[in-house]
Amino acid sequence: MKKALSLMLVGTMTVGLLSACGKTEEPASSVAESSVESSVEESVEETTEEEQVAEVGRPEEHVTLKMYFEGANVTDDSEALAAINDYLDEKLNVTLEPVWGTWGDFDTNAVLALQGGDDVDIYFTCSWTANEYGPFAKDGYYVRLDDPDNNLIEKYGKEVWDILPEVLKIGAEVDGADGRGVYAVPGFKDTAAQYCWDVNVTKLEELGYTLDDIKSRSFFDFGDIFAAAKEKFGDDFYPLLPEGTVLEEMVTNCYGVTGDTSEIVYESINPEDPSKPGAHGTTLVNRFATDEFKDYAKKVREYYLAGYIDPQVTNSEQSASVRTNHQLEGSYLIGTQSYAFGYEAQVSKERGIDVQFVPTSPAFTNTVTSQGAMMAISTASKNPERAMMFLNLLNTDPYLFTLVDFGVEGTHYNLNDEGEAVFTDKHADYSLWINGTGNVTLLPPQEGQGADFQDKFREFYGNAYSLPTLGWSMNCEEISDKCAAVANASAEYALPLDMGSVDPDDVLEGFIKKLNDNGAEDVVQTANDQLAEFLAAN
Amino acid sequence: MAKKFIKKRKRNLMSVGLPAEIIFNIVLILFALLCIIPFVFVIVISFSSEQSIRQIGYSFFPSEWSVTAYDYVFKMGDQLWRSYFNSFFVTIVGTLVSITMCILYAYALFRRDFKFRSFFTMFAFFTTLFGGGLAPTYMVCKQLLGLSDNYQALIVPALVSPFYIIVMRTFFSSSIPEELIEAAAIDGSGEYRTLVKIILPITKPGIATVSLLTALAYWNDWYLAMLYIRDAKFIPLQYLLMKMQSQVDFLVKNSAKIGAEVANVVSQLPSSTLRMALVVFVVVPITFAYPFFQRYIIAGLTIGSVKG
Amino acid sequence: MDEKKTKAIALKGRRKKHKDRKKTLILLSMVAPTSIWLILLRYIPLFGIVIAFKNYKVYTKAPTLINNVIHSKWVGFKNFFFIFATTDSLKFIRNTVCYNLVFILCGLILSVSFAIMLNEITHKFVAKTYQTLMFFPYFISWVVASYFVAALLDPSNGLITRFQLEHFGAATDFYNNPKPWPVILTLSSIWKNTGYSTILYLAAITGIDTSLYEAAAIDGATKWQQIKYVTIPNLRTMISILLIMDIGKIFNSDFGLFYNIPQNSGPLFSVTQTIDTYVYRALMQTNNISNSTAASLFQNVIGFICIMIANTIVKKIDEDSSLF
Repeated sequence: MKKALSLMLVGTMTVGLLSACGKTEEPASSVAESSVESSVEESVEETTEEEQVAEVGRPEEHVTLKMYFEGANVTDDSEALAAINDYLDEKLNVTLEPVWGTWGDFDTNAVLALQGGDDVDIYFTCSWTANEYGPFAKDGYYVRLDDPDNNLIEKYGKEVWDILPEVLKIGAEVDGADGRGVYAVPGFKDTAAQYCWDVNVTKLEELGYTLDDIKSRSFFDFGDIFAAAKEKFGDDFYPLLPEGTVLEEMVTNCYGVTGDTSEIVYESINPEDPSKPGAHGTTLVNRFATDEFKDYAKKVREYYLAGYIDPQVTNSEQSASVRTNHQLEGSYLIGTQSYAFGYEAQVSKERGIDVQFVPTSPAFTNTVTSQGAMMAISTASKNPERAMMFLNLLNTDPYLFTLVDFGVEGTHYNLNDEGEAVFTDKHADYSLWINGTGNVTLLPPQEGQGADFQDKFREFYGNAYSLPTLGWSMNCEEISDKCAAVANASAEYALPLDMGSVDPDDVLEGFIKKLNDNGAEDVVQTANDQLAEFLAAN
Repeated sequence: MAKKFIKKRKRNLMSVGLPAEIIFNIVLILFALLCIIPFVFVIVISFSSEQSIRQIGYSFFPSEWSVTAYDYVFKMGDQLWRSYFNSFFVTIVGTLVSITMCILYAYALFRRDFKFRSFFTMFAFFTTLFGGGLAPTYMVCKQLLGLSDNYQALIVPALVSPFYIIVMRTFFSSSIPEELIEAAAIDGSGEYRTLVKIILPITKPGIATVSLLTALAYWNDWYLAMLYIRDAKFIPLQYLLMKMQSQVDFLVKNSAKIGAEVANVVSQLPSSTLRMALVVFVVVPITFAYPFFQRYIIAGLTIGSVKG
Repeated sequence: MDEKKTKAIALKGRRKKHKDRKKTLILLSMVAPTSIWLILLRYIPLFGIVIAFKNYKVYTKAPTLINNVIHSKWVGFKNFFFIFATTDSLKFIRNTVCYNLVFILCGLILSVSFAIMLNEITHKFVAKTYQTLMFFPYFISWVVASYFVAALLDPSNGLITRFQLEHFGAATDFYNNPKPWPVILTLSSIWKNTGYSTILYLAAITGIDTSLYEAAAIDGATKWQQIKYVTIPNLRTMISILLIMDIGKIFNSDFGLFYNIPQNSGPLFSVTQTIDTYVYRALMQTNNISNSTAASLFQNVIGFICIMIANTIVKKIDEDSSLF
C-alpha cells in the first residue's frame, strides 16, 4: 500500500515537473524513475501547455524539497520556516523541509542518507567532510549540474553562476560519474587559505619581545624565545603549540593535494608568490622524502626534547582537545592558525589574551579551499530541477538567504543604525552554520563587523593568489589499494615525526623505506602523471 | 534467633570452608573494585571544572569542582525527559517481545524430536556470521518495512539475537531433563502449556539473564536511532547524549575549518566533562533496574545450591 | 509381505504420523515469528554481499540500491586485495588471532571461576553486590575507558608515570613504546567483558538440577568435590557453546579496544593493529562500500570455517555440547 502510494506520488510529481519545464526543448533526462507512463503524458502536456508556460516563472506543480543543514542548532523553526515557505511558495511553488543536522552528522548521518538513497534533495558537501565532494561525485551520488543533456545551471542557475568568483567555479569542476563537470554549487565564503603564526602577544610582551621579533624570524630561529618562555613561565609551560600537519606544511611550504587518499602526496608552494611554482616546481613529492621535511623534523625534535611542546599534544586522539585547551587557557606562546577573515578579534576575546596572526605566506586559493563549502543535489532527488531553482534563488536573493540564516527580522534579529544585524534571544532557538548555507556575502554584517564588512571580505579573498594547480585533484581510483597501504604505513610515524615525539635520525629512513615498500613511489608517480596531463590540457 | 543460627551452621557445612571463602571474597572484592573505580573516576571527572582538567589533566583530585556539564545537559529541558521516556518505553516493550520470540525459538530448537531442528539452528546461526552490510539492511528497514521515525524503528531491528537464542537453548538443555517433556506429553499437556507451566518456571534464572542482557542492549543502543530517527520526538536517551557528544567533538576537532563563527561556541563547551556526565545519566537509571533482574538470577542461586 | 500386516502398520504409522505432524506444526509455529524476522532483516539484505565482488557505483539515471548493484561492474576478487596490499598484513592478522586466543582463554578461566566463587559466597547480599559492580564496565564505552587509561599512563599527568618518576627517576613513554601494550590490552579486555560472561555462567550454574547436588552430598562429597564433579561437568555445554561462538569471531576484533585505548598512537601499531583497525584506517579516506563489504565477508568466511572445525571437534568429543 505504502509503496503503491509512493509510486503514485512519484508519478504525479514527475508529471508535474515535466509540465513545469514544458517549455524547454528536451524532457529532463536525469529525472529519477521517469516511467513510460509519465513520458506518454509528458508528450500530451507538452503540446497543450507549451504556450501557457512562456517563461521560467512560478512553476505549476507544487513540490517539497528536503535539504540537509549540518551544524544547525535549531529547536524552534516554526516562525522562520513559515516565512521561508511563504516566500518560496510565491516564487517557486516549493515547500522547504529542512533536516536539521548537528555537527556530528557530517561524518555519519549524511553519508548514510546518501548511500541509503534517502529522499533528501540537497546536501552539504566539501573537500573535508566524510561525504567528500570529489569521490562522492565520482561514485554518482551528486547530480551533474552542467550535464550537456540537461544543463541545470544554464536553465535554472544562471544568476548564481554569474555572481560566483572564477576560482570557485574552477574548483567545482571535477571528474564525476557523468563526465568532467560541476556537481555542486559552491558557497561563496572564505575562498582562500593563509597560514599564520598564532601569537599570544600578551605573553610575548611579558618576555620583552615584540611582534616584530616573530615577523623577522623563521621557525628555525624561535629557539631563544622559547627558551626565555620556558625560563619565565616554568616547566609546565609549553610555548610551541603545533597542530597535526599544519606546522609541517607551514615550515616546509609543501601542502597536501585534494583527492589523495594516501596522505603523502604534497605540492610545493612559492611563499613569495603562490601563483608561481614552488621549490619543487610543478612536481609532486612524497612529503616525508624531501630535504625540507628532514630539516623540519630535526628542528621540531629539538624543540620537543627541550620541552617546548606538550607531550599530550603529540597523542593523536587527544591532540585536538589538548590543543584547544591550551588555546583557551592562553597557555602557549606560538601556535598555528589557518587564517579566516575577521578572526583575530574574535579569538582574542574568547581566550582573554591579545592574539595576533603573523602570516607565513600570502593568501592563496587551491583546489582544497575552493571546495570549502558546497551544496549538491542528490541523484536520489525526485526534483533536481526545482532543487537547482531553489539553490539559485537562495544564493542570489538577499531576503531569502538572510531569512534562512538569521531568521525573521524583528524576531530573531534586528538591524541597527549601521545596518548591522543584532541577534535577539530567540536566535538561540534558531541558529545555523552560516558558512554551510551558501553565499554569505548576501548577509548584512553582524554587530561589530562594520557596515563595509562584506566589501572588505570580498576584497581580501579577491586578492588571493591562485595556485598553478588550482582545479586539479588527484584520482586514486586505480591505485586505491596502494594508497590504502601507504596511508596505513604513514599513520605509524606521521604524527610523531610532525610533533617531534620520535627521533627522525632513528626512524625516518626506515619509515620512508616502508612507505616505498608499500608503493609510495608509484603513488607519487601516478599523481605526477595526472597533474602533467591536467597542466598540458589547461 | 536460635533457629537462624542453626540454619547458618547447616549452611556452613555445605560451603567451601571459611579460608576458601575468605580468599573468594578477596578475589571478588579486588575485581569488583577494578570495575567500579573507573566509574568513580567518571563521576569525579563529570563534576570537575574544565579549568581543572586543562591545568592538571584528568585526575581523581580536581583542583576545582563544577556542575557545568550537568547544566549543559539539563539545558535540553523537556527533550531530556522525553528521551528518558522513549528509552524506558523501547527497553520495556523491546525486551518483552524479544524475549518471547527468543524463548519460543530456542525451545523448539531444544526439542530433539523437532523434525527441522538442525535446519532452524543453522538458519538462525548463519546470520551471526553473514550479513548484507549496512546499506542493504538500511534500505530494507526503511523502504520495505517503513521503519523510520517511529518506535518500531527502535525496537524491530534488534528483536532477534541468534546468540541469545543459542544461549537460551543451552539453558534449556542444561536444566530440563528430557524425561520431563515426555512425561508432560503423556499427560496430554499441549506444547504451549508445557512450555509455560513446566519449562519456564525451571529456567527462570536463564530467562532473567537473557532478559537482562537484552534490556541492557536496548537501553544502551544509539545506533538504531542514528540510522532511523530524525524526528526529535522519538530520540532515545543514548542517542540524544551521543549527538551532543559528537557535536562537541566535531566542533573541537574542526574549529579551524568551520570558521570564525563557531570559535566562541567552542570556548563554552564542556568538552571533557560532558562525556563523563553523559555516562552518569545513562548508568544511574539502569542500576536501579538491575536488582529486579538479579532477584531471579540470585534467587535461583539460593534455591539451587544451598537447599539440602 | 502380507497385505493385512502392511495395512495395519500403515494405519498405526499414519496415526503416529498425524500426531507427529501436529507436533511439528506447533513447533513450527514457535519458530515462525523469529524466522520471519530473520528472513526480512537478515536474509533479504544478504543480496548486498555481491557488492563485495563489484565496483559499487551509483546508477545516476535511477539510483535505487538495487539498480546501483545491478549496474555496477563485476570485478571478481579485486576488492579483497587491499587487505593484503600492505607489508603489514601478516602482522595484523597475527595480532587479531593471537589477541583473540588470549582473550578467549583468560576470559573463560576467569569468568567460570568468578561464577563458581559467586555461587559459593554464603551471604547472597554480598554476592549480589559483587555481581552488580562487575557489570559496570559494560556501560563504559571504550572511549571513556581510554580516558581512564590515559589518566594512568599520560606522559605528563599520568598516575603511573608520576609514580615512576618519583621512585625510579624515569618514566615509560607509554604511548610511544609498544612493549607494555599486549598486557594493557588484555587487562582492558578482561575488565570489560568478564562481568558479562560471568553472569551467563552463573545463570547456568543456577539452572543445574539441585537433586544432583543432593545426591552428591548424600554420597559424602565435600563442596569441592561437588564443584569438580557436578558444577563443572554441567557447565561444559555452556562453555563449549560460548567457546565455539567466540572462535567464529576469531578474525574479528573489538575496534574500540584496539583503536581508542592506545589513543590511535602510530608507534604502537606493531602490537595494536588488527584487521578491523587496518580496514578502518585504510578506508577512512575513501568510504568505499565494496572494500568494506569485502573485508567483512573475508572475516566471516574464515570465522565460518573455524566454527565448522570447532563444532566438528566438539561433536566428536561430546555430541550434546555441539552447536548444531
